Amino acid sequence: MARYMLVLKYDEAVAMATPPDPAVFEEMGRFNTAMVDAGVLLAGEGLAPSAQGAVVTFPDGDDDGPTVSDGPFSEARELIGGFWILKVASLDEAVSWARRAPFRAGERIEVRRVTEAEDFEGIAPEGVLEQEAELRARAEQQHGG
Amino acid sequence: MRYMMIMQAPETMAVGGPDAPSPEAMFDAMNRFNTELVEAGVLLAAEGLAPSSEGFVVTYEGETPTVTDGPFAEARELVAGFWILDVATRTEAEQWARRCPIGPGVRLEVRRIPDLREFEGIAPAEFLDAEAALRARVAERAGRYEQSGS
Repeated sequence: MARYMLVLKYDEAVAMATPPDPAVFEEMGRFNTAMVDAGVLLAGEGLAPSAQGAVVTFPDGDDDGPTVSDGPFSEARELIGGFWILKVASLDEAVSWARRAPFRAGERIEVRRVTEAEDFEGIAPEGVLEQEAELRARAEQQHGG
Repeated sequence: MRYMMIMQAPETMAVGGPDAPSPEAMFDAMNRFNTELVEAGVLLAAEGLAPSSEGFVVTYEGETPTVTDGPFAEARELVAGFWILDVATRTEAEQWARRCPIGPGVRLEVRRIPDLREFEGIAPAEFLDAEAALRARVAERAGRYEQSGS
């Protein structure tokens, strides 16, 4: 089994010009239900408009620390609208779910494999992977996943 | 309130890439940051993504979706990973974002995650009820996934 993240990218200018359509919620509900029924959905969230967010960057060769710019992110043509994380047997299975996702104008879905601890064996310093596993367990326990 | 911090960087800056610091330095810095988040009790989830050569893009221009295999050579900045935080205020989210161990060339987008109840009056009531029930089922399954560790 592998985990894949479906990242929904959208054009915020187009989305703002299009009022929310109840039919979109229904399509999304059908898609989410199909994934839960199939037992593949691990997580999924949508994001609020970029006007409620911020961008943090580190300027090159600057010792003043990070720069924070408030949203909206007008310079970015494509923004992230939300994501799903699926647990599936193969890349093909992830592709077939991504093909079924409800789309609106100006959207696309990027599908990426989520890394597992095994990916970093022999690369990460000794002990770090064990510490990460422990941190995950603690975060899980704190919020009662 | 929940905020998602999305790390975006050129792929040459990924672990082992030509423009990346040493893996030791990267893992140590990330591990320290993640430990601080867990000790403060604010971390809900975090994941890193594999190189885009293992991924694909789905677009919908005509009647059927089109699938294009990675790597995503046209994109200068790609999503490298994310954190989801549960914090009291936007200022608190910003303070954590400022402490994230990223260097020049990396961009961290911070976005609020709306709660379902914000869609009352916009989405049909049946949709919101069904969505809440789905979330409960997903939470149960995700809990089992964490426990099984595979």
